[in-house]
Amino acid sequence: MGDQDNQKQPMPSRGLSVDTLAVLLGLVLAALVRFGVLKHVGW
Amino acid sequence: MTTAVPAARAESVSFAGKFIQLVPGVVLLVLVGYAGKFVEQSISKYSKAHHLTLPNIEYVLWAILFGCFISNVIGVAKVFKPGIATYEFWLKIGIVLLGSRFILGDVLKLGSVSLILVLIELVLSIALMTFLGRIFKLKPKLTALLAIGSSICGVSAIIAAKGAIDADDEDASFAIAAILALGALALFSFAPIGHALHMNDQTFGLWAGMGVDNTAEAVAAGNMFSDAAGKTAVLAKTTRNAMIGFVVLAYALYFAAREGRNAVGNKAAFLWQKFPKFVLGFLIISLLATLKVFNGDQLTSLANLSRWAFLLTFGGVGLRMNFREMMAQGMRPFIVGALGEVAIAVITLGLVLGANAMVKL
Repeated sequence: MGDQDNQKQPMPSRGLSVDTLAVLLGLVLAALVRFGVLKHVGW
Repeated sequence: MTTAVPAARAESVSFAGKFIQLVPGVVLLVLVGYAGKFVEQSISKYSKAHHLTLPNIEYVLWAILFGCFISNVIGVAKVFKPGIATYEFWLKIGIVLLGSRFILGDVLKLGSVSLILVLIELVLSIALMTFLGRIFKLKPKLTALLAIGSSICGVSAIIAAKGAIDADDEDASFAIAAILALGALALFSFAPIGHALHMNDQTFGLWAGMGVDNTAEAVAAGNMFSDAAGKTAVLAKTTRNAMIGFVVLAYALYFAAREGRNAVGNKAAFLWQKFPKFVLGFLIISLLATLKVFNGDQLTSLANLSRWAFLLTFGGVGLRMNFREMMAQGMRPFIVGALGEVAIAVITLGLVLGANAMVKL
């Protein structure tokens, strides 16, 4: 699962790879949980 | 100045347009994934209410079956395809967030066991696929793509290697079709075999992570067995994915020397370019969890967010399976792939059972 498949996937940003976007979004979600914006996410 | 404004507007329009294009497919991923979860919960509630003992089929399997049905029986309209292609994006977010469920010590312990097993698996599967490719007289580059796909991580590795070894489109689509068809078979066969052998969660997770080629299918196979096995499958598969740069680089150098072309220029830059960056995200979140940045409730929230991301992924795994397209690629690469994959599945099973006996996973 390298970066190359990223070119095949239509994603909203042209500048960032899918991997980078996934890492950024993951970190943003973690920050939202940490600072109490997202609370008690259920399943 | 006058040209910059319309250019910026055109850029923002195309950004918004691209984003809107993704919406129908993403909604379909949510619906298919959630339908799987709904059926699992409904069966569980029904069996409890009527005091019945029904087999617990994980939502993962239902979501994949629903996706498969839509893809092969109803057909997927063009409007959904861009959004469905985002399933790997959700997979990577799920893996990054799953880092919250690993303390760095676990990652190092299980990761080092995985790494040793992965290195053995890499050597054996590349040797085996090369041997089978020669016996069945496949073209060397098709054989190389099959070997890379089966030893590391399926479709993405094949795409990464295609450019590096200058293989043609036909070879790449043959190899991708074979790997996808075999991934589908592994997806449905691994969990029953694991249950029949009474494997524990960690041993099964390691096996799924090492024996199933595509990351999405490996994570799905692990989760079909149990939640804990899914977690271990992610770690084993991520270790395998991290090897992609080294193997593709070795093949690129081999074919460049064979064809008298210039070899790869900056090898360190090449390795970094091929390295799956989401692995770093996984490690960062795992480090934060180890440093106790999150409390118990927050860790549960992060784990559940990871589950929601995987739910979209599993919907995409089924929606992407098209058996007619897979079969249209011809039988020879499929036979080579199938023989190799069965052998690799048996070898990796032996490796994890051996490691479990020695290290007690």
